[in-house]
Amino acid sequence: MQLALFWTFSLLMLVFALAVVFLRNPVASALSLVVSFIGLAALFVSLDAFFIGIIQVLVYAGAVMVLFLFIIMLLDLRSEKTRKLNLAALAGGGLVLVGFLSLLVRVVFAKDGYGEIPREALTGPITDVVGVGVTLFKSFTLPFQVVGVLLLVATVGVVLLSKKELK
Amino acid sequence: MIAIPSVTLEILVVVIGIFLLMAESFFPAADKRHIGWTAVLALGFVFVMSFFVTGFSGLQENPAFYVMDPLGMFFKRFMLVATALTIILAMDYAPVYARFIPSATPQAGVGEFFVLPVFACAGLMWMVSAADFIMIFVALELVTITFYVLVASMRRNNGSLEAGVKYLILGALSTGFLVYGITWIFGVTGQTALEGIQQIVPRVKAPFQLGLFFGLGLVLVALGFKIAAAPFQFWVPDVYQGAPTPVTAYLSVASKAAGFVVLLRVVETFLFAPDLDAAWASKIVSVLAILAGLTLLYGNLAALPQNNLKRLLAYSSVAHAGYLLVALASLSSPNAEPAIGFYLVGYLLMTFLAFFVLVQVARVAGRDEIADFAGLGRRSPVLAFGMLVAMLSLAGLPFTVGFYGKFLIFVAAWQSAQFVLVGIGALTVACGFYYYLKVVMAMYWQPAPDGAPAISVTPVTKFIIFLLVAAIIVFGVWPEPILAALR
Repeated sequence: MQLALFWTFSLLMLVFALAVVFLRNPVASALSLVVSFIGLAALFVSLDAFFIGIIQVLVYAGAVMVLFLFIIMLLDLRSEKTRKLNLAALAGGGLVLVGFLSLLVRVVFAKDGYGEIPREALTGPITDVVGVGVTLFKSFTLPFQVVGVLLLVATVGVVLLSKKELK
Repeated sequence: MIAIPSVTLEILVVVIGIFLLMAESFFPAADKRHIGWTAVLALGFVFVMSFFVTGFSGLQENPAFYVMDPLGMFFKRFMLVATALTIILAMDYAPVYARFIPSATPQAGVGEFFVLPVFACAGLMWMVSAADFIMIFVALELVTITFYVLVASMRRNNGSLEAGVKYLILGALSTGFLVYGITWIFGVTGQTALEGIQQIVPRVKAPFQLGLFFGLGLVLVALGFKIAAAPFQFWVPDVYQGAPTPVTAYLSVASKAAGFVVLLRVVETFLFAPDLDAAWASKIVSVLAILAGLTLLYGNLAALPQNNLKRLLAYSSVAHAGYLLVALASLSSPNAEPAIGFYLVGYLLMTFLAFFVLVQVARVAGRDEIADFAGLGRRSPVLAFGMLVAMLSLAGLPFTVGFYGKFLIFVAAWQSAQFVLVGIGALTVACGFYYYLKVVMAMYWQPAPDGAPAISVTPVTKFIIFLLVAAIIVFGVWPEPILAALR
């Protein structure tokens, strides 16, 4: 049952992720991204990572995507026109893609198989909000504070880049 | 002596940044250069304070995200100096910058240009001390996001906007590679701390090794973007040319140096793991050697036909990443690590010197072409002499830091039997002489165009240029102080 659900949601995610890239209409792309995010959230839930699953839906599928749609609406984007394909760029990109995929396939389907992971069990999964909060503030204090500085810089940057007339 | 924990330095830098941001908004009418000078003085204070901190990091955390070692301390000071120089350079550049931002008064919007590098500095200082992939990632993102803003900040200049978009997209791509690589390493070892990973690497059994080194490969790709190593260098010329000149200098010195320190820590984690499979060790080294060779050839050959000095310095920055990678591929020699540190110091001195002169000349000429340097030897002997020393040192003339740095790297490469790389290095140094001397030739052998305006240089800038020239020559003949500080 779990395996069937895994494949369903993985396929859903991958198909719609491809749709994001290949659809010409930006609104359709954005909506495909929502579906892809929901598939990803379901995968998180199936790994007992409920908190990340919920955040994925709330923040990404909810807030971020609404923002995307707003921007598309405000910019008044039309369907992208079919461009002439640049053969050299296509060949280069294809080469990178083929190389990366073949490496990935080789690693994932290693000939001896993977079996048990050779390490001590981690300190129990953190599933609830309390656990996430306590871990963030207790064992990850420094990186957490650095993220705070990062957000400050990002805010200043957004104001700086988007202000119309600086006084 | 009071025991000051070393993490205080970064906290202080962030506090300085917040203080300056507030000062900027409370005194909107004031000359924004006051903010720049305050920032430089405050960073100078942190620099002095860094000599009084103890080895104690001030954090009792498990896992340890932050290490306090001579390498980290040395590069913290390096970042402070680079940031202070960037801000001084930015003050010279402010008139050009103000022309390209939409504002009501000439001084508006320039303040952030002096404040954002301070935050980037804190990120860079965290990066060089990071001993955990989570910390590496977070600090790297702090630095990169600050740079996205800085690069694109000249909003009425198409070049700057183009550079901003290119840097954003390729930076995001490389971040993707980094996270994906870290995931693979974490998946196999169950650790994000470099020390923990080092303990587990030798115990990883055959089928998992492939996954582990796949992860390492992806991390190398991501860091290759940051240090501008070929074949991940294609963003460099456009971004360096389009960005505001002080940001270009900052990007090419500080961001690259921090990238190299992280790369050094990551590579050493794997390479120096106890009882590592010799086959894997030699594979890692040969990957680094191939990267080094490609970067050397690409950077130096592509720099040959350039006519724009900023673009030339961009390619030269790729070329110098190549020399540093040669040292990284020679880590089996004990001289390699000090060579990297020394080379980066030399690179800081000569790159900033070149950019200081470039900003003065470009402010008058309105562009960055080498042709604008024609007759500079007559028009402004001080600037011309500064550029002469910078170019000779970048090319690697004896009695300059550039020469001694290359010498140390080639010695390390010779000791670890990287003879092919030494050969490529010697060949590319010869290439370097050609394109660096092109600038010198324009300055001294070509007449100035008629009616070329005089270039006024402020006393402070003159003093900085003099200081950088002196440092390049002094450390070129007497490198011991820097090498001692690295130990």
